[in-house]
Amino acid sequence: MSFDEAFDVIVIGGGHAGCEAASAAARLGSQTALVTMNLDLIGQMSCNPAIGGIAKGHLVREIDALGGIMGRVADRTGIQFRLLNRSRGRAVQSPRAQADRSLYRKDMRKSLEGTPNLHLRQGTVLDLVIRGGRMAGIKLQDGRTFGASAVVIATGTFLNGVVHTGHETYQAGRTGEPSSIELAEALKRLGFPVGRLKTGTPPRLDGRSIDWSAFKPQPPDEVPVPFSFATDEILQPQLNCYVGYTSTRVHEAIRQNLHRSPLYSGKIRGIGPRYCPSIEDKVVKFADKDRHQLFLEPEGHDTNEVYLNGFSTSLPANLQQELVRLIPGLEETRIIRPGYAIEYDFVDPRELGPDLQTARIPGLFHAGQINGTTGYEEAACQGLIAGINAALTVQGRQRFRLRRDESYIGVLIDDLISQGVDEPYRVFTSRAENRLSLRYDNADERLEPYGRDLGLVGDSDWERFNQRRDRIALLWKILEDTRLKRSDKAYAAISSKLGADLGDSVTLAQLGKRTGVGLDIIRSVLPAEKLPGLTDSEIESGLADSLYAGYIDAQRLNVQRLHQHDGLQIRPDFSFRGLSGLSHEMVERFERARPLTFGDARRIPGLTPAALSMLLVHLTVRRHAA
Amino acid sequence: MDTIVALGTPAGRSAIGVIRLSGPDSLSILRSIVGDDHLKPRPSQSVLRSIRSNGSSSILDRALLSYFPAPNSYTGEDVVEISCHGSPVILRQVVDLTLALGARPAGPGEFTLRALGNDKLNLCQAEAIRDLINAQTEAAAQQALRQLMGELSARLQVSKQKLIQTIVQLESALEFVEDDLPQLKKRQIAAELTDVTTAFAKLASTFESGHLLREGLKVTIVGRPNVGKSSLFNMLLASERAIVSEVPGTTRDTITERISLEGVPVLLTDTAGVRDSTDRIENMGVARTRQAMSEADLVMVVIDGSEDLEVEDLRVLSQARSGRHIVALNKSDAPSFAVLEKSRPSFEARTINVSAVTAGGLETLRAAILEPFGSVDSSNAGFLITDARHYDLLVRARLEVQSSVDLLQEGASEELILIGLHNGLRFLGQITGETTPNEILTEIFATFCIGK
Repeated sequence: MSFDEAFDVIVIGGGHAGCEAASAAARLGSQTALVTMNLDLIGQMSCNPAIGGIAKGHLVREIDALGGIMGRVADRTGIQFRLLNRSRGRAVQSPRAQADRSLYRKDMRKSLEGTPNLHLRQGTVLDLVIRGGRMAGIKLQDGRTFGASAVVIATGTFLNGVVHTGHETYQAGRTGEPSSIELAEALKRLGFPVGRLKTGTPPRLDGRSIDWSAFKPQPPDEVPVPFSFATDEILQPQLNCYVGYTSTRVHEAIRQNLHRSPLYSGKIRGIGPRYCPSIEDKVVKFADKDRHQLFLEPEGHDTNEVYLNGFSTSLPANLQQELVRLIPGLEETRIIRPGYAIEYDFVDPRELGPDLQTARIPGLFHAGQINGTTGYEEAACQGLIAGINAALTVQGRQRFRLRRDESYIGVLIDDLISQGVDEPYRVFTSRAENRLSLRYDNADERLEPYGRDLGLVGDSDWERFNQRRDRIALLWKILEDTRLKRSDKAYAAISSKLGADLGDSVTLAQLGKRTGVGLDIIRSVLPAEKLPGLTDSEIESGLADSLYAGYIDAQRLNVQRLHQHDGLQIRPDFSFRGLSGLSHEMVERFERARPLTFGDARRIPGLTPAALSMLLVHLTVRRHAA
Repeated sequence: MDTIVALGTPAGRSAIGVIRLSGPDSLSILRSIVGDDHLKPRPSQSVLRSIRSNGSSSILDRALLSYFPAPNSYTGEDVVEISCHGSPVILRQVVDLTLALGARPAGPGEFTLRALGNDKLNLCQAEAIRDLINAQTEAAAQQALRQLMGELSARLQVSKQKLIQTIVQLESALEFVEDDLPQLKKRQIAAELTDVTTAFAKLASTFESGHLLREGLKVTIVGRPNVGKSSLFNMLLASERAIVSEVPGTTRDTITERISLEGVPVLLTDTAGVRDSTDRIENMGVARTRQAMSEADLVMVVIDGSEDLEVEDLRVLSQARSGRHIVALNKSDAPSFAVLEKSRPSFEARTINVSAVTAGGLETLRAAILEPFGSVDSSNAGFLITDARHYDLLVRARLEVQSSVDLLQEGASEELILIGLHNGLRFLGQITGETTPNEILTEIFATFCIGK
């Protein structure tokens, strides 16, 4: 069979994973097709119109450092930027922005259309073409066939998607769009283990019918912190969001109508994310709370639509209208689009390698919600890694992977492929053992050289990166060389602010290790002319390096101590099957990895602590009979 | 999973020998060797049956049989216990029978490992079993038993929960900054964490006694020849283990015996008398004596109180001075003892008057041996940390949590305060089982309504 069109890489799906995947593969020089059901909905934000947040903002920065596009698009279309956790340490700060939903879509489409080697194709994929056990191409509903030796599936919630509002149920990939049933069945036929997840959205309101005075405005940052290292300035006019609350009347009405919720009638079987519960869940599980927080988020400059964040629901549409009107300030408010819950298929991500390629079918990659994740940022970073590796595979180049200790992307992928998922997976800073090192402001230092080596970081970005790196190195030298002495004018003020005696003389680098030493203190010692070209943000990065350095070293030592058994040898012919009392699955994992030391064994993904304890007991206390 | 078999009692001649089987085929093997396809002893009931070799009518033994069906057995698998008469020949034959029927000889510790694998025990209970089997005194066995009953894990649970709850609060504050969470109450958190460090410190402080109970005390008896070392040794032993004679230098080698003082196992070593000698064998003995002195936790210098001090006495005393030592002034029953007492210089170390002949001063001597090691809370009153690994982990955990308290009080940001808490929890996890990041998240979602 010959194909109607031949490409190197095909990406199925035009969401956040698909866009990054297609853009990366094309920019690495592979002829790439992005196939999607509706070209007008490329880059659609299906849920809330926002990018970033704690840990998620880190991901966007990492995507940007590697040469991905999400950060730049968000910077061009963001209408409310806020840096979260400003009062806390740099490692847990993270940028977040509301985006103009329709602008974001248009900008993303424009970015893709401006990418050489990237070809947009509209169509519904029915089946995968596999030859000799390897990826060969795809079949479309309209009869066309496309060939490619690498295919990235990034279909979001479309695989066997079913939408619920009340007892109304219909097949859909998102509300108003058809689901992808044939492709889901094709994956099952190929033997992929498939599970079911659930997510939901809140209703969208008519902004003209909201009593805004009943809500507390949440203003944007005065100086917005962009996502992309390349963005100098945010140009979109910035808007307020608004904070309000539900009331006991709302809760009471929900309780009385729980039987009408598909979540509580047992109709929905898929598992939803615990950190994004529906309002029904909140009212039931936290019955003692007399109000729940809500955010009114504008959907864009040119629309009245307002997103009611915090009120995700699958109750019947007419009931949603009644409930919304019980919320203080929304007494007259009309719903434009009701909220809904959606159930969809995901494929067990333990099928994947660190390059996001399936072990089952060489050349087939999975990215985004198909892997059980939730969130635009989580999807985009997987799309980027899958797209990069799809192109590298076609080009016969060595595949690319990121480690846990160097990136949140590495943490996310490692968690997925080693642990699998039992609820929609979201990134959290607490998932990263190396949280202190993985800062949003040093993502470039951590990852940009990789992006450059791959060929995704262009000359001007690389030049900018090097200049920034040089400036921070210079800053370091200045901080090391500048001493604050007791006789200095600033000394007394700084000492009293920190509530500590600083000794007769201290370098600014030493000073930076103290909690509470910020930009103001550095600026009070060093006038601007002594810090040529250094921005406030760069000085804060330098201070964060200082503050965390000691902790990071101590942590390393601690980890070594904790892992004192790592050197224990395991004979090459050691029989894990002979490890009495070990489950079959654990034996398999050991056998596959064949560790030669206890340290190797400890790093095998998916082992239970009990299994490791048993190995350790075998290796150390086997002389003790029981 | 295969079925394993092993002798549950020590090898050698004894009244009863117990053979233990664990695994899915345990019951069918038992049925085969007694020739009864329907045998199924009720749990906690023993039945008496004849064991026959396969296909033969001759009876090997009459044995008591017990059956513990999974999961309510030691290993969590089907377990069978066969109590035979304790002849090594019979036991060997019965074990061989089970092997022929498909059982496999158990490896060292394999029954316990299976229990561990089936979650019947945690690591710290498994360690307790090891200690219980190796316990040297009743008090030490008591402690191991308490650990086996999960007492160490249970005692740490309260602290562990406090630690987890604090982590949950701090992590939530960081991670869900846009959610409507209660304000952190730093003073309350500091108080909770101080409770945790206090509890760790208290438990860790029991280690000195606990360690003593488990490892015992090495006491070496030294002195110039013929001062009555072996007599005192025997008196403490209350047996005639060492050869005692009037000939100086009879004990040429070191002899070690185990005794129990207040429940503390004591390894008592009798040594050759220290003196310059031309006898080669005796000189070797003296070298061993020096060795035994350097390894001892406590050296007991024996001096003949019925004679004037000799140069050799002083030499021994000066050698003992580098470590913990006491002086046993022997022959207090001799008439010259009292006469010499007035002119004798007093010794640096604790000195006890004893008589190996009348056993006078024995109780004082026994107490004096334990005295330098603090009061050992013997069998029942307190729970003691006996394992050096547990002690080490507790001390480290305490230091980590303390560093968090300090940072909290300095007003540091949560991600820094959390480092010590996570480390503390990890160290604790090595005793009680690990807490995964996912379990922390689960705890967060159960505690707070998250979901902007």
